[in-house]
Amino acid sequence: MSSDAVKKRKPKVIRNEAGTPETKRGRAEGEQSVEMEERRRQCSVHFITLKKLNRLAHMRLKKGRDQTHEAKQRVDVLHLQLQNLLYEVMHLQKEISKCLEFKSQHEEIELVSEEEFFQEAPAEISRPHVTRDDHHQLTLARLDWELEQRKRLAEQYKMSLARKEKIHKAIEQKREYLSSLQPGLQNIMQASLPVQECLSMPFEQMQKQAEVARHLPPPLYVLLVQAAAYGQACDKTLSASISGDVDEAKALSRPPEDSQDDESDSDAEEEQQNTKRRRASVGVQLDDKRKEMLRRHPLSLCVDLKCKDGSVLHLFFYYLMNLNILTVKTKVSTTTDLSGAVSAGELLNSESLLNCLYASDHGQETPNPTNRYQFDKVGITTFADYVSDLGHPYVWVQKLGGLQFSSDGAQVCVLMGSALSASHMERTMKLLQGRLQARLALHKQFSSLEHSIIPISGECQHLFPAKVVSGLTLVPVEQELGFVQHVLKAGLLRETDLFFMAVVERGTARLLAAVVVNPRYPEVMPLFSLSLHWKGERSGRTEDNLRAMESEVNMFRAELQGPRPGLQLLTNQIQRLCVCLDVYLETESQVCDGSEGPKEFPREKMCLRTARGPSRLKPFKYNHPQGFFSHR
Amino acid sequence: MGPVELLHMSVFSQSFSPCGRFLAAGNNYGEIAVFSLSAALSPDASQASQKPILNFTAHDGPVFSLLSTDTHLLSAGNGEISAWSWAELIKKSTKAAWTRKPSYETSLEIPEINAMIINPKDNSLIVGGGDNNIHIMDMETGIFKSVLKGHTDYIHCLCFKEREEEILSGGEDGAVRIWGHTEILLSHFQTCSGMASQECARPQFGKWISCLATDSDWMLCGGGPSLSLWHLRSMSPTSVFPLPGCQREAVFYQDLIMSVGEGPHVSHCLHGGTVKAQIPCTPSSLNTLALNLKNTEHRVMTVGGSSHQIDVFTNFSYRAFSLSF
Repeated sequence: MSSDAVKKRKPKVIRNEAGTPETKRGRAEGEQSVEMEERRRQCSVHFITLKKLNRLAHMRLKKGRDQTHEAKQRVDVLHLQLQNLLYEVMHLQKEISKCLEFKSQHEEIELVSEEEFFQEAPAEISRPHVTRDDHHQLTLARLDWELEQRKRLAEQYKMSLARKEKIHKAIEQKREYLSSLQPGLQNIMQASLPVQECLSMPFEQMQKQAEVARHLPPPLYVLLVQAAAYGQACDKTLSASISGDVDEAKALSRPPEDSQDDESDSDAEEEQQNTKRRRASVGVQLDDKRKEMLRRHPLSLCVDLKCKDGSVLHLFFYYLMNLNILTVKTKVSTTTDLSGAVSAGELLNSESLLNCLYASDHGQETPNPTNRYQFDKVGITTFADYVSDLGHPYVWVQKLGGLQFSSDGAQVCVLMGSALSASHMERTMKLLQGRLQARLALHKQFSSLEHSIIPISGECQHLFPAKVVSGLTLVPVEQELGFVQHVLKAGLLRETDLFFMAVVERGTARLLAAVVVNPRYPEVMPLFSLSLHWKGERSGRTEDNLRAMESEVNMFRAELQGPRPGLQLLTNQIQRLCVCLDVYLETESQVCDGSEGPKEFPREKMCLRTARGPSRLKPFKYNHPQGFFSHR
Repeated sequence: MGPVELLHMSVFSQSFSPCGRFLAAGNNYGEIAVFSLSAALSPDASQASQKPILNFTAHDGPVFSLLSTDTHLLSAGNGEISAWSWAELIKKSTKAAWTRKPSYETSLEIPEINAMIINPKDNSLIVGGGDNNIHIMDMETGIFKSVLKGHTDYIHCLCFKEREEEILSGGEDGAVRIWGHTEILLSHFQTCSGMASQECARPQFGKWISCLATDSDWMLCGGGPSLSLWHLRSMSPTSVFPLPGCQREAVFYQDLIMSVGEGPHVSHCLHGGTVKAQIPCTPSSLNTLALNLKNTEHRVMTVGGSSHQIDVFTNFSYRAFSLSF
């Protein structure tokens, strides 16, 4: 503005100066310039007023802005204060909630109940007058009481620990003392062994056996106990012993370690199985499962039965753990060498030696019905496949071990365990000995029969006449025999029976006899079926006389069995067969084709009548001291 | 009776009860079994009704002959004859009414009795057996009134001609003897030996006569020789039946001749000499054939032989079922 003013003056000045030269020009022009001056002065005043107004406007604006600014600042300050306060409120609320949720450790301590506390705590702690009203004080008091009790109990605990340590030490000392005695006792036992042998009281041996016997599974243990008892009481030749791996048995019977072992074992097994799975199929897994199912207990029992002639029947009893059955394997050892009897190879075969000891006890299937379900799981269809490996699970073996399985048709047996075993022991042992003797006798008889000699013992001579002409040979059974069909139809021939053929010859006549020997010989009589080849073929089915010969040989057990125990039965039957053939051929008066001539077989046997009855039977019955033949 | 005993059992004789509802059979062990035909033939018959209602041991030796009178069953064992009341048997009581023995000469071996027949006119029992003689016993008194001797070997079979009251007997010696009025011993006899006529002789078997049957003028005889039909007045065979085995029993029935013997079949033959049919049966050879003609409801034929089973034929052409001991 001042510059403006200066600037305005200058031109005035200038003008003035310019004007001066010009004043001369004209005073006429002078009035014009005074008006111009006036206007210029008015103009400047206007300009100045304008500036002043402009300035005032600016200043008003500025003032307004400043006021607004201040007010705003005041409001901001208040706003901030509000926020601060709100924040603080929130903080405090959080704190409050935290405090409210706070679980003090003291709540985890189980305190005694209030009534107990008031009853038990001494007055200075419980302060009932204060605490009954004030809950906080009550809690504090209870905590105090708790602390005191705990301190007291900790003291007691320390004292007990100290006492226990002392006693422990005392025990250790005593143990050391005892173990120091052990070597001394061993020496004494060793020294006493010769004495024991001398007096034949094998305590040591029995003790060792008893020690091992502790690890036997229960059925084998029952069997051992009963067999030993029977041996001591009734049959001095019976002996029982344990064989097998005791450590494995011990391992089996240790349960807690067993679980750890099981885990590690099962891990190992799984790894093994994993590797196996990579190589082989499910079949191998199944095989393993089967092997596991059919596993035998590591310990087995061996029972030896001696017979009078020195031959021994060895019975090995095994226990199948998962199936809970006992099996038996046999072995026969004889004093003389048994060889030569070709057809008798089956007799002492350990597979079939003990077949049908009791009627229909074949030992091919397991007697335990639960095994069926177990077999289904691992795909075993018949147990018979494994029998040759594992032994035969006869029913009498289960009974001797005290194992009783319910099966269809069996009578309900009230005895269990040892009582069951004891009730069957004597009979079974007698049957076993009888079976061995019968088989050995049969073996001997077969070997002499193969040499065409019929061994007849002195006691049985009275059954037969002095002269018997027919001769015997044994032949193997080749083909299906028609004349045995009736035996099959009557159901008297079974898979377990021994089957052989004997040929009796005299002159041109040839008698074929098919013999069925039941494994329970001599309790069951062997069955003969006859077929005669002489001037045609006849059999017991077509001709009544041959049928009568069959019945003469097959029945009349009381006559034929000879002295007890009836081991001569088969040879007597064969001898009688030869005698009957003699009678038949000699009394056959018919001559075929009408031809006359001397008879092939002259009559040597003394008979009263050659035919009797409507079927004209021949006299086959031999009467002893008189020596003649008559009809039955 | 174990299975081996059953395997070796033979049925030798049969007889129906007077009412026709029961059958008695005798076997080689000396047992007599009574079967109830009404139970076995009824529509609801089961396995059990084919078993005897009564089975008892009557004699020591085999029961070769059974005969029924109006009230009693007569059975022949080793040299003795026992009588059993049918009423008692049906009530399962096994006490014999009487037991009698004909007098025998030999004592070393007791002869068997193979055949028994009854003469209804003078109520006497005619018995033939192992001692080669025929004994005649009076039924009321039980005394053996006469002995007919003549056979040289034991007697297999007897039969009775009612019109002339003559007894025919056939024996092991191959002779068939005809005995006249029994009040006189051996009044007249005639023999016709199978060997004499070559048509029926079969020397490969022998000459014994084991079955006889008569139908007034006609006589059947067979055994070792073939079964043949003879005309009695002319004493000559009119037809010979070509049956392979030896026949043990033959009967006349209506216009057929039925015979059983070796071989598991019943042969039906016609008078002309042809074999009409051979019906198979269970036993492998047959000993006895019986026809139940007294009772029209239970009109059956039963046969027994070398088996413990007795076949029953309701229609004579086929076997219906078997009774078993």
